[in-house]
Amino acid sequence: LGVSRGLPCAQGPLSPPSSPPTVTSEQIEHLHRRFKQLSRDQLTIRKENFDSIPDLEFNPIRGKIVHAFFDKRNLRQESDGLADEINFEDFLTIMSYFRPIEMNMDEEQLDRFRKEKLKFLFHMYDSDHDGKITLQEYRNVVEELLSGNPHLEKESVRSIADGAMMEAASICVGQMGPDQVYEGITFEDFLKMWQGIDIETKMHVRFLNMETIAHCY
Amino acid sequence: MFLLLPFDSLVVNLLGISITVLFTLLLVFIIVPAIFGVSFGIRKVYMKTLLKIFQWATLRIERGAKEKNHPLYKPYVNGIIAKEPTSLEEEIKEIRRSGSSKALDTPEFELSDIFYFCRKGIETIMDDEVTKRFSAEELESWNLLSRTNYNFQYISLRLTVLWGLGVLIRYCFLLPLRIALAFTGISLLVTGTTVVGYLPNGRCKEFLSKHVHLMCYRICVRALTAIITYHDRENRPRNGGICVANHTSPIDVIILASDGYYAMVGQIHGGLMGVIQRAMVKACPHVWFERSEVKDRHLVARRLTEHVQDKSKLPILIFPEGTCINNTSVMMFKKGSFEIGATVYPVAIKYDPQFGDAFWNSSKYGMVTYLLRMMTSWAIVCSVWYLPPMTRQPEEDAVQFANRVKSAIARQGGLVDLLWDGGLKREKVKDTFKEEQQKLYSKMIVGNHEDRSRS
Repeated sequence: LGVSRGLPCAQGPLSPPSSPPTVTSEQIEHLHRRFKQLSRDQLTIRKENFDSIPDLEFNPIRGKIVHAFFDKRNLRQESDGLADEINFEDFLTIMSYFRPIEMNMDEEQLDRFRKEKLKFLFHMYDSDHDGKITLQEYRNVVEELLSGNPHLEKESVRSIADGAMMEAASICVGQMGPDQVYEGITFEDFLKMWQGIDIETKMHVRFLNMETIAHCY
Repeated sequence: MFLLLPFDSLVVNLLGISITVLFTLLLVFIIVPAIFGVSFGIRKVYMKTLLKIFQWATLRIERGAKEKNHPLYKPYVNGIIAKEPTSLEEEIKEIRRSGSSKALDTPEFELSDIFYFCRKGIETIMDDEVTKRFSAEELESWNLLSRTNYNFQYISLRLTVLWGLGVLIRYCFLLPLRIALAFTGISLLVTGTTVVGYLPNGRCKEFLSKHVHLMCYRICVRALTAIITYHDRENRPRNGGICVANHTSPIDVIILASDGYYAMVGQIHGGLMGVIQRAMVKACPHVWFERSEVKDRHLVARRLTEHVQDKSKLPILIFPEGTCINNTSVMMFKKGSFEIGATVYPVAIKYDPQFGDAFWNSSKYGMVTYLLRMMTSWAIVCSVWYLPPMTRQPEEDAVQFANRVKSAIARQGGLVDLLWDGGLKREKVKDTFKEEQQKLYSKMIVGNHEDRSRS
């Protein structure tokens, strides 16, 4: 295949070198085939290649999801901004945010795992890369999610977003005085809001167990 | 130099004799039965022998792979991801319930709602229904064609020898035979229809035209070594009706037309196709459109309606999917042919990919490459089911009628019935589909929001 087995998703910061690889080589092969299909046999994928997935059109936050693939913060690169194209290793890096939890993870690993996933989501909201989710960015996300409804007026969408933002502010900062300005949700505040919500069990994609299928033939 | 002469003449003699023998065989065993529409059953015997050989080959590969610990390539028809069967509403409620301390009957937007869409998006990026349909179906047993097997590495001497023998037979024996037959068939079609065209209109002309068409299509069927099983022939299309079928390759036309007498619909091409089309229309009325006329939907509909209303004219053959699909599913039928109001005779065609994959991936192969691949496969095996005729009910519109016909065809052929448009092979999704899911989500949030603000 030409792909080295020492990939970031198997031995990145999420799992120390001593633990066994958490993605099997068969799954990597499947993903590689999918990558080749999306890239039309080229070595890299660009934004336009995602247009060839019809099912993705259903999704209201399609733009943000595609954007997330090219976001350098998610690709663990030092610089900031957007990449023009990604190769298979980058593709796997993004996919690794959606790995399911392993049974043998300890507290520290679980915590890191969770932070990584939440950071991915945070980057989706924070579109100008300044480390804060401002009211405008929040409104953008709500507008996109509700964009499918043509009867919805902009005002209603705004009020929903504003209400939710105030809710978030009250959780993070407590009661604010009348002249206090809430600048935006930082990553720490973001983490606070998710306390108690079991997102690790919701934000993953499981591979089908291939052995069970083979028996059917 | 003089020593070589007797050897040369010997070679020439041998060549002459073998060509004569070949042509006699051709004539007796293939062309004559095609003319009369009978069959010796040679192809069925051929098929059975091949099956036995394939089984042996597959066992050998699996045994060899196990010995050497090669990972075998297993097809993943069901997709590679475990997709949760829960709906949008259930999932979002569940996410909110697990964290929110607020009462559940006042839902409004929450940060966690983005999860569901995010996950769904990543799932479709990893594996989606539609793009899977457009690549050739993957086989679980090997049919001695290296083009269908990713596992073909050197497993054993016997297998390689068998494969080599297969290549020799297919390219040096079967291919020239098939090309000769195809040539005969096409030239007979062109000359036959032109000659019949000179006769005055009447029953004689119709009779001759029908038999010329049938004969030539039968020869072409044998040129591809197509082994076809027809089911329910009593439902065959009649005059004044429209025959619709699912589309996998241009060969579909030959398969259907060799068992029935149809009027074709299509665009006039240049080159050889154009010559054939112009000759055919002399013998009986087919519906050919100029390139410019094809875009004008009303003109097309009008001409088809005129044809259908004339009861003396033949049933029209149409493939409503508009493009070739890889024969594992049936895609959206274009509604044009269902608006005309004639009786529709659905036909389901299912190819057996074991002997040769008939799917034409027009973005990967051109027409000539495709035909070459077809003629160097072992055989084309398929089943054709003639379904009972359907008419449009008063309370359904053309789109619903088209979907009803499509489901019937998919069910009979054992294909998956998909809502997606076959045109997606080349274009993007229509905007109307995008809005459905978003409408549902926004209804959930906004509907309740409005309730609260009103109270």
